[in-house]
Amino acid sequence: MAPPRKRDVRASRPPLRFGDDPLLWASWLYYEEGLTQSEIADQMGASRPTVNAYLADARARGIVNISISGDKLRSVTIARAIEAHFGIGDCLIVPAEGGQRSLIDRLGAAAAQSLPDLLHSGDTVAITWGRTMLALANAVRDCHLSDVIVVQATGGTTAAITYTPEACATRLAESLGARFVPISAPAIVSSPEARKILLREPVIAEQMQNLERVTCILFGISSLRPNSTVHSSGFFDSSLQRHGAYGTAVGSLAGRFIDDQGAGLSGPLADRTMGIDLDQLRSVPTRVLVAGGFDKVPPILAALRGGYVTTLITDSATGEGILRAEGVELDTLAPRRRAAEPPQQALARTRIKKFINQPKDAVTEALEGALAAFPDHIEPIGGSLRALRSRAAKPEGKVGVVIGGGAGHEPGFAGFVGPGLADAVALGNVFASPPPDRILSCTRDAHRGAGVLYIYGNYTGDVMNFDMAADLAAAEGIQTRTVLTTDDIASSGAEDRAARRGTAGNVFVFKVAGAASARMLPLEDCERLARKANAACHTIGVALEPCSTPDTQRPSFSIGQTDMEFGVGIHGEPGVTRVRLQTADRVVDQICDRIFEEMRLAPGARVAVLVNSLGATPMLELMILNRRLTHRLSARSVDVHTTLLGHYFTALDMAGASITLMALDEELTGLLDAPCDGFAWRK
Amino acid sequence: MSKIDNAYLLSFFKLAADRLEARRQELCSLDGEIGDGDHGTSMANGFAAIDARLREVPADTATPALLLREAASAFIGEVGATVGPLYATALLQGAALLEDGPLERDRLGDLLAQFAAGIGMRGQAQPGDKTMLDAWVPATQAARNAAAGGASAREVAEAAAAAARKGADTTASMVASRGRAARLKERSLGHPDPGAVSAALIIGAFAEIEEDPA
Repeated sequence: MAPPRKRDVRASRPPLRFGDDPLLWASWLYYEEGLTQSEIADQMGASRPTVNAYLADARARGIVNISISGDKLRSVTIARAIEAHFGIGDCLIVPAEGGQRSLIDRLGAAAAQSLPDLLHSGDTVAITWGRTMLALANAVRDCHLSDVIVVQATGGTTAAITYTPEACATRLAESLGARFVPISAPAIVSSPEARKILLREPVIAEQMQNLERVTCILFGISSLRPNSTVHSSGFFDSSLQRHGAYGTAVGSLAGRFIDDQGAGLSGPLADRTMGIDLDQLRSVPTRVLVAGGFDKVPPILAALRGGYVTTLITDSATGEGILRAEGVELDTLAPRRRAAEPPQQALARTRIKKFINQPKDAVTEALEGALAAFPDHIEPIGGSLRALRSRAAKPEGKVGVVIGGGAGHEPGFAGFVGPGLADAVALGNVFASPPPDRILSCTRDAHRGAGVLYIYGNYTGDVMNFDMAADLAAAEGIQTRTVLTTDDIASSGAEDRAARRGTAGNVFVFKVAGAASARMLPLEDCERLARKANAACHTIGVALEPCSTPDTQRPSFSIGQTDMEFGVGIHGEPGVTRVRLQTADRVVDQICDRIFEEMRLAPGARVAVLVNSLGATPMLELMILNRRLTHRLSARSVDVHTTLLGHYFTALDMAGASITLMALDEELTGLLDAPCDGFAWRK
Repeated sequence: MSKIDNAYLLSFFKLAADRLEARRQELCSLDGEIGDGDHGTSMANGFAAIDARLREVPADTATPALLLREAASAFIGEVGATVGPLYATALLQGAALLEDGPLERDRLGDLLAQFAAGIGMRGQAQPGDKTMLDAWVPATQAARNAAAGGASAREVAEAAAAAARKGADTTASMVASRGRAARLKERSLGHPDPGAVSAALIIGAFAEIEEDPA
């Protein structure tokens, strides 16, 4: 805070900039200039109690708002909600994002810092094992405690991991300057008999007795997900989970398994486990669970429900996840000084009006209409409206290009069938993959002895159905290759490109593959070029309003009046993040920043552009978006070779748009410039 | 109706189709929250197609295995989608078990296990991935445990149905790692998986036909 600036002139009227408002004047002097209330009283020519009243009034009227930094407030809010909801004593929430240090290290450090509040001289503290426990033990600094005993909560392991029970407990004992009591036996022994024999050994019996005296236990929890510690440590054979008594287990603590309500599961391991059991654990006065990460949400929930936890230390994202999984709405938790914002008007628009007859007939009737409108482009294969082929003649030896996917993307898919584009298209219900038999009829129809190239968006359902069709085609001697489109860069990180979904970039990939096949290139080359086109395409979509299917005629989800969804696909699904609504230019900037970051367009680079409506957004807005896009590209000296602007790949009536940039080299430019004639793209 | 035979399967598919039809919109809405909103349509249309197809099968040639194979073909021929291949594979696996003829009704768990295995094989999901398997796997185990404990056919089916419902509820606490919902990561928390909810409806139909033998 700046040192108070002294004034010699005593004034009783505020300087002009404060108008006639003594509250604003007093607030300014107090909060911005850092004067004391007496100094302000002097300067304003008022009494100190009057100044005090001015300041209180300024807060009550909202002239002054005092806020706690958002992140911290959120952490405290989540912690308080978890304490209240689960009735636990303490909850400490660390920020979910924390720069360079891993979540495990930060959780360990936070737990270590709370130890002085949790531990006292003379305590017996037990610790389990795992990455988080080792991070905790490593992070403990000088607690100034004496006569503390650290006991290993379970037996040991020879697994090749650094965070064994022995390692965690010895490290904690060292850090605390405490006496260490091991359990000189394996955590899991070979048989119940072996366990009984070991428990009769005086040394081990004495060690185990210490578990009865534990006053504080520090424990982690393992999920049973395939990549979790419980598997990698060799403690647990995953075949036990799939078929045995542990089928309902959601987590493991101290080597014991619990179900989603926290009930202990007795199974083949129960009588072979050396260490603290669940009842013993629950009777320890202070029970500190340190765990974070989304895969830990179910086990943490189970531990909370089962009463194993008195203190929970986790991160804000996991904490939020726990509350959300319990149906606790976080937005209602934040303390509000003033009345909440008026409820949204979303309800007024629950039923969306549509031009349909019967919902179940929507797709079929739409295709009938399309066939009537574009008789020169498409026709049914063998009477099925959901398997269509190009009217153009297909010469022998030409690679067949078969595309397909769900309905709801119109003019998507069917509009890109024709000379220089795809040869056939298989269509499903709204947003649902076509079944294999339809894809197979397209495959047979498109096959001219040179094999068939499948191109479609990367979605679980489409992949399964097309793969089944490929197997059926192979059985008939038709060779197929598959290129999955993955242009939506918001859907997954650059390191995991194969997991991305295919959206509007489809259009360019279909075009390139269609042109390659029209040049009579062999299947390998058509496949390579389609892959190259896909790799060159980068798309991001933004939604202002959700879509509604003919079946429900209701919004698929809700977007607040002042929000938008960033990173949406083409199936009306929510985006990757929800952000504040912005102006068209700022939306384009945000999209460009993200695309440029990945594309690294050099000056002089050449691109094809697709500014695509997701359904309800009109051309006028697309043009406004394109205006800013052009500015951004020219600022980078990027040359726009071709622009498509309009409804190319939609998500029914979603209000929103996507921008696709495709990086072009000579080869792709040539293919993109080749003639084509689909009802949605003619060149 | 003492066994899992033709009559049993016909009433099961009819009932499951009714139950899914009744919840069509709700399943679509659930799916809209974390997926693409087609789930209710796919499931209701798919089971309606099964029901219609099975009625066409001449009674004199029908066997339980044939009915399940017809069901698989009718389902995937109608819907495709994600559930098409999954349920078609499940039903074909079920058909393999019934190849030798009708099954004792308290061995429902074995049939469910075949379904679950087919779904797991085709979808490559694991329990805990927030998928329909999170209803099918616990239901299978509950049915087998109940049968092993000497429960009646009705108790076995009820145990399976209860476990499936509970499994479906539990998916709300999971983060999706398969399918479209996986892209939402933690935003999928708090929403049950629509595939698990519809699976619980289907498994519930096994319990319902036990309480009201048609």
